Amino acid sequence: MRKVAFAAVLVLLGGAFLPGLARDASASISLEKCTLCHGKPEFRKLLVDGQIRDLFVIGDTLAGSVHAKKVCTDCHFDVSEIPHREHPKRVTCTHCHYKGNHEGAPQSDNVLAYFDSIHGQAIARGNTKAPLCQDCHGNHRILKAKDPGSRVARVNVAETCGKCHMEIYAQFKGSIHGTALAKGIEEVPSCTGCHGEHRIYARKDPKSTVYSTHVSEQCSTCHGSIKIMGKFGIETEQVATYKESFHGVANQFGSRTVANCSSCHGVHDIRPPDDPLSMVNPKNVPKTCGKCHPGANPNFAVGKIHVDAKNKESGIIYWTATFFKWLTIGTMLALVAHIFLDMYGRTRRLRGER
Amino acid sequence: MSRADLSAGKVIRMSLLFRIQHLILTVLLTLLAITGFALMYHENSLARWIIEFEGGVHNRGIVHRIAAVLLLANLVYHVFYMLFSREGKTELRLLFIVRQDINDFLQSLRYNLGMSKEYPRFGKYGYKEKFQYWGASGGIILISITGMMLWAEGFSMRFFPKFILDLALIIHGYQGLLGFVLLYLWHIYNVHLHPSSFPMNPSWITGKVSVEWLREEHPLEYEKLKEEGLL
Repeated sequence: MRKVAFAAVLVLLGGAFLPGLARDASASISLEKCTLCHGKPEFRKLLVDGQIRDLFVIGDTLAGSVHAKKVCTDCHFDVSEIPHREHPKRVTCTHCHYKGNHEGAPQSDNVLAYFDSIHGQAIARGNTKAPLCQDCHGNHRILKAKDPGSRVARVNVAETCGKCHMEIYAQFKGSIHGTALAKGIEEVPSCTGCHGEHRIYARKDPKSTVYSTHVSEQCSTCHGSIKIMGKFGIETEQVATYKESFHGVANQFGSRTVANCSSCHGVHDIRPPDDPLSMVNPKNVPKTCGKCHPGANPNFAVGKIHVDAKNKESGIIYWTATFFKWLTIGTMLALVAHIFLDMYGRTRRLRGER
Repeated sequence: MSRADLSAGKVIRMSLLFRIQHLILTVLLTLLAITGFALMYHENSLARWIIEFEGGVHNRGIVHRIAAVLLLANLVYHVFYMLFSREGKTELRLLFIVRQDINDFLQSLRYNLGMSKEYPRFGKYGYKEKFQYWGASGGIILISITGMMLWAEGFSMRFFPKFILDLALIIHGYQGLLGFVLLYLWHIYNVHLHPSSFPMNPSWITGKVSVEWLREEHPLEYEKLKEEGLL
């Protein structure tokens, strides 16, 4: 009887521990089995569109990545027999990366933000070309975003986005932001600096960070900061002067047709004003203004665009504003003085009559 | 002046046509001030509320321009009336600034400061009224020029560089402020809040003032009417 009980305990314990052992065993087997085919360097597939898909995977493929300790079937869990008869499905990251998961996989709300974004919505509508997590973060060699080697690191993300957004990437590379990024300047924005990371929306979506009424705010996160702009000798008053201008006021009150920063300076092709290709180069100003003001002529480029009447550098405009300010103050004082004098005199007159 | 008026001790100071022009001017200038300052001080929460109330910056501009056009129409009518009507011509002659006005101003200063015992004796329009009239007329003409430059910005930019329009904007705004101060501080005090007529000079509605008031404040006009046998 006792032996039976002992055996039962063993069986129970075995039931609890063996699956773990078996899993480890199956994992190592799995890798070995997978590399039977995938370990051959020439193992690749010709896709319908003529592209070649490299299917070469070895044991080191995941080494160094955040998933170094994972095995093939942890993600490709739909592969249940080897060789697999069917084409394995695309990997679903949320299989592990969900809130309260037992794997200890990091989870933030980014995945929810992604599902709401233009990319997530496109996927939901069945667009197979829209990016999933792995299209930006990479598949086997996923690194932390802070790691300079990561495909989503600030220095690399433009190239990653550029895989699909090729024309924009080409424009961006030639822009002041793109060239500064290539020089390794830390503060310069890449795609995600303006568009956001997971919360990317179409520019006509009011939720977008680059929606027409959000643009100036987005640019001002850096261009309104003396700390950042001071390093590069760029003025920060542009944002404030824009907000004071007719364009800026209309924009703040929700006009979507009025010019914002990028209407004049460009979007992905922003260049410094002294660059002949810049939209705000004095030679190009008539053309740029002409987009909204038909018949714009070189007069549009005479005088500062971002003019601040409170700044001495604005010359005649500053002096006129100052003149009027003191004229108004002076007139007010004179009028008030005259009113009080009049009251005083009148009181005396009335007293005299009595 | 009707017999009924005289027996009630009243004389006409503003004819009906002038009262209408004055009322239109009052309404339009107030409207222009509200819409204009809302834009000038758009950071202010009250200004924001006004702009939203008017239906956004675009509609605010339309209201401002309609009021401006009506104001100009009123001004053109007034100019023609002053130059060509019998009543207008008489009034215009009374409004010319003459040497006496400067003397009156200095005399009133001396009197108010206690350096003289004689208070100046004014005709129908004293230096204060004349200053107001020419100040307002000149101001409206000047602010209209900058206003029209800014309205037809595409047309203006054909002739002027951008900084001239920046200048026009500055002048337009500050001149509006100056005019507002003059009208709502000086004019309201002199005409309505002044102890002689507090709380209000009724002539802007009824057109009439009391003979007593006229004798006190505009003695030369009183004497002239008396000589003409109208009183």
